[in-house]
Amino acid sequence: MKAVMIKVHEVWLETLMAGFMSHTHNKQTLFDFADIMFRHFTWIEDLLIKSGEEYSYDRDNVPIKVENLKVLLKDIDTRLSDIDLQLMSLEDKALASRIASDIKYIRQVLDKMHDETITAFNMHRVMEGYSLSKEATDALTLFLFEESYKEYELIMIYNYLKAHSQDAYMNRIFQILIDESMFHLKCFGDMQAKMGILATPRVVMRELYQVTDIVKFLKDGIDEEILAKEECKRLAEAVAKDNEDLAHFFDFINNQENYHIALMEDALNHYQEVNKVE
Amino acid sequence: MTVDEQLVMHMMEPKNYGHMESADAFGFGKNPENGEKVVIYLRIGKDEDEPYIQDIKFQAIGCTTTVVAGSMLTEEAKGLNLEGAKNLVNATLQLLDKLPPEDAACSEMVALAIAAAVETYEKRVDEPDYPAITYKIKSTCTPKEEADESSND
Repeated sequence: MKAVMIKVHEVWLETLMAGFMSHTHNKQTLFDFADIMFRHFTWIEDLLIKSGEEYSYDRDNVPIKVENLKVLLKDIDTRLSDIDLQLMSLEDKALASRIASDIKYIRQVLDKMHDETITAFNMHRVMEGYSLSKEATDALTLFLFEESYKEYELIMIYNYLKAHSQDAYMNRIFQILIDESMFHLKCFGDMQAKMGILATPRVVMRELYQVTDIVKFLKDGIDEEILAKEECKRLAEAVAKDNEDLAHFFDFINNQENYHIALMEDALNHYQEVNKVE
Repeated sequence: MTVDEQLVMHMMEPKNYGHMESADAFGFGKNPENGEKVVIYLRIGKDEDEPYIQDIKFQAIGCTTTVVAGSMLTEEAKGLNLEGAKNLVNATLQLLDKLPPEDAACSEMVALAIAAAVETYEKRVDEPDYPAITYKIKSTCTPKEEADESSND
């Protein structure tokens, strides 16, 4: 069962990356499929928790560097076929059947998807329609690598916390934070692909998501969000003189961090109140 | 950090990133200032009885610069004998004052993690359960102007 979860994790990321690479209407379909695969991942994780089996979010690196989308789609298809065969190891046969049904349809659609030439790895570091100085391009490059990983890391952390919590109030907050990070990851991944510097986020270290002290985690998280706001502000300033639209986008992302701070403060207050801890 | 094509390649595909199952030794480099850390895993081979780094992996809780430093230094360390690895660590530490503070802190953290892993391996030759060594960095991540400002607060 653990092996299936790892494989679903990998194919989710690969499909998400394929979505970033696409320049056509394939993009939205790939994003939708990636979202479905992420939900499969959480279903299987839930089974693991119920069975008491230990697990982690360790996985192999997911190679995605291709020149044509079809090559990646073929690889996704192979992975889905492997998962399909391994679904029989799930004790919950109804869940296995639901996932198998999704896989069957997804493979049919992927098979019919038209091919695209991929430019997401050309390292040109230029976004069509945007003219940035070397300084602004360097700042944007570093920001995108830093933050795309960070958003993936947050998705995994909040997902783990949510999977291990029975508190509906906390879980509502964790789910909103997951959704927010998914949105940010999609924004940043798209920009990376446009700049020719797309990369799969690295594996998250276990101690980051296997949180033992939630209060400390939330307090540190609030501080980190405040720093992230500063980072966005700096980047908005760095690109503002070259491109107003991009500056507005980073101002928007900066202001979005206010939601995260409010949500984490809410979670912290609730947790402290319910568990009578400081 | 000035970003060139080589750095972008390390960012896109960091070399040797990940956990190593049943490593012969591992060691940590930590930044006590902000909790960032690097772990280095070693698999040691023998070349005519001389131990050398057959495989090396790293993981990091840190920024992109740390990952780039880890990618570059682990590539250089791979294949070296233990003395060679220590020389690599020393050479890196001697270069730190030529780097911007944030880059220096990241490189120091990786170099010290390599030193810690190599020394843990050496200790484990006689004492197989010797715990993984951790070294803390002396560099600060904070650029000088910011550090000055905060000390004036």
